[in-house]
This record gives sequence, C-alpha cells and structure tokens, in this order.
Amino acid sequence: MAVRTIEVRERVMERNDGIARDIRQRLDAAGIVALNLVSSPGSGKTLLLERTLAALDGELRMAVITGDVQTQNDAERLARHTNRLVQAVVTGGACHLDARQIDTGLEAVNLDDTDLLFIENVGNLVCPASWYLGEDAKVVLFSVTEGEDKPLKYPKMFREATYAVINKMDLLPYVPFDVDRAVAFAREVNPHLQFFFTSATTGSGLDAWYDFLRDLAGGPSGARPARTARSAP
Amino acid sequence: MHEMSVAMEICRIVDHKYDRAAGSLVTVGVEIGDDAGLEIGNLEFCLETLLSQPPFGGARPLFDRKPGSVLRVSYLELDDGR
Repeated sequence: MAVRTIEVRERVMERNDGIARDIRQRLDAAGIVALNLVSSPGSGKTLLLERTLAALDGELRMAVITGDVQTQNDAERLARHTNRLVQAVVTGGACHLDARQIDTGLEAVNLDDTDLLFIENVGNLVCPASWYLGEDAKVVLFSVTEGEDKPLKYPKMFREATYAVINKMDLLPYVPFDVDRAVAFAREVNPHLQFFFTSATTGSGLDAWYDFLRDLAGGPSGARPARTARSAP
Repeated sequence: MHEMSVAMEICRIVDHKYDRAAGSLVTVGVEIGDDAGLEIGNLEFCLETLLSQPPFGGARPLFDRKPGSVLRVSYLELDDGR
C-alpha cells in the first residue's frame, strides 16, 4: 500500500466567513449597524428587544432577524411592537445561526430603509461564538439568576463580545449574585467589555441602552464599535 | 452542539479536494485549536459517522491539537493501491 499525502490547509470556517464578509460590505454600503445578541436561553434577549422596539420605533429604522431552534414565538412577540420587519429563522435543531441564514434573511430586509439590524441568535453561550455573521459587534447578555461566573465558564463568547448586558437586575434582592464579581470575571476574560445593567421587565437601566443605540445607529460612522480580528476574519 | 455543522463543512472541503482517481481516502488531517470552541470527542464522532458514508469510504479523522483558535483541514492521505 502506498499512501500519498495531499496538502490542503483550508480554514473550515472560510465559506461562512466569506459570506459574512459579503454581508458586512452590503451593510456598510447601506450605513447599517448590526448587533448580534447572544446569551444562554432565558437571559432576556427577546424582552430586551421588545422593549427596544417599543421605545425606539419611529426614531430609528430597525430590523430584526431572530433565530430559534423551533417555533417562531420570538418573532411573533417582537412583531407586536413594530410594523417593521421581524424575520424568523428556524434552525431546525442547529444550535446557532450561520452567515448563510443571515444572507437569506436579509433578502426580505429593505437595506435602504434600515439604520440598525438586530440579530437575535439562538440561546446558547457556546456555539454562536464561533460563527461570524457580518455583525459590527456581539452583545452578550447574562442575567443575575445565572451565576456570576458565566464569563469564566464560557470565555470564548465573552472574548468575542464587545458589549455585555447584565439583565434582570430587579431580581438582585432575591438571588446570591455579586455584580462586582461578575464584572471582574468578565473583565478577566475581556478587559475591553462595556457593560449595561438592565431590567427589561421594570425598564431600569434601559435609558443608557437606548442612548447607546441612538449614538451607534444615528451618529457618525466613527461611533461604530471596532471589530476584532476574531469576529471579522 | 455545532460539531456536526463543522464536521459537515470539513467533509465539504474534503469532497472538493479529494480526487477519486488518485486513490482511496485513508486519513483526513484536521488542525484544531484549544480555543476553537469544539469538543474534540464530539467532532471525532460526527466526522467518523460522515466519513463512513460514500464517497469517503471509512477514512479516519486525525486531529492535531494547536494553541489558539485555528480550525482547518490540513491534509488528506490517499492510498493509491500500488
């Protein structure tokens, strides 16, 4: 038996990343800021987006692509708060969104009539960290009911993120969650993370989030977050 | 988790690079970084399952652990039958 070796040296994610770079170019050309919201299931991504759509609808032109393993429940919840497009992607078992799905989802979005694109990823703190979707930045949510060591348990996601939202702050009196420790753990993984402290239920902390979005989507292009080499291969 | 998606993409690359006329596929070499976000046993299981199907003929995956987040198909080994 004669075994011959053929060198390949091809990045496994190259096809996804190539589609994501094309998406990025189209969004840049249209002046659209895209945020990829990631978290474990139940951290409050959908409620945060519901509040955001209700508060900023008419002020910012927003579109949402929302991914779920099954059902279009999140898209239906979000669509109650806006007449603008909420596009559902049902992954059918896959634990993350990939660039091809975003590319398809964008076919329904009027890019000339959009300032801000939210991508609500599948609830999962592992897999979505590995898939670049053409976003400007990842926003990682975690809630005070989850334990403050989430950043240490899921470091790749927190390294990939530019912003962190600690949500469900209204529940702090009832759970043993140390906010300072959570921030310290997150900064241990990613010293550049910028934080928001919110309760999407009561609305506390959301004004800072809204102001941030206004600056990002309505401000000069210089307000955009710098993309890291990892998230924009 | 997403190991099956990654395994399918690896097989797509292999299928593209694999010249059937050059021999039967024996090994698929994969470089995988410690920070690649993959559980290597899970990926191995997925790859073995996919590579057992035509046109791959039971080739085995061979992993080379690396620092960082690298993830790439590094080489193929073919048996030309001679």
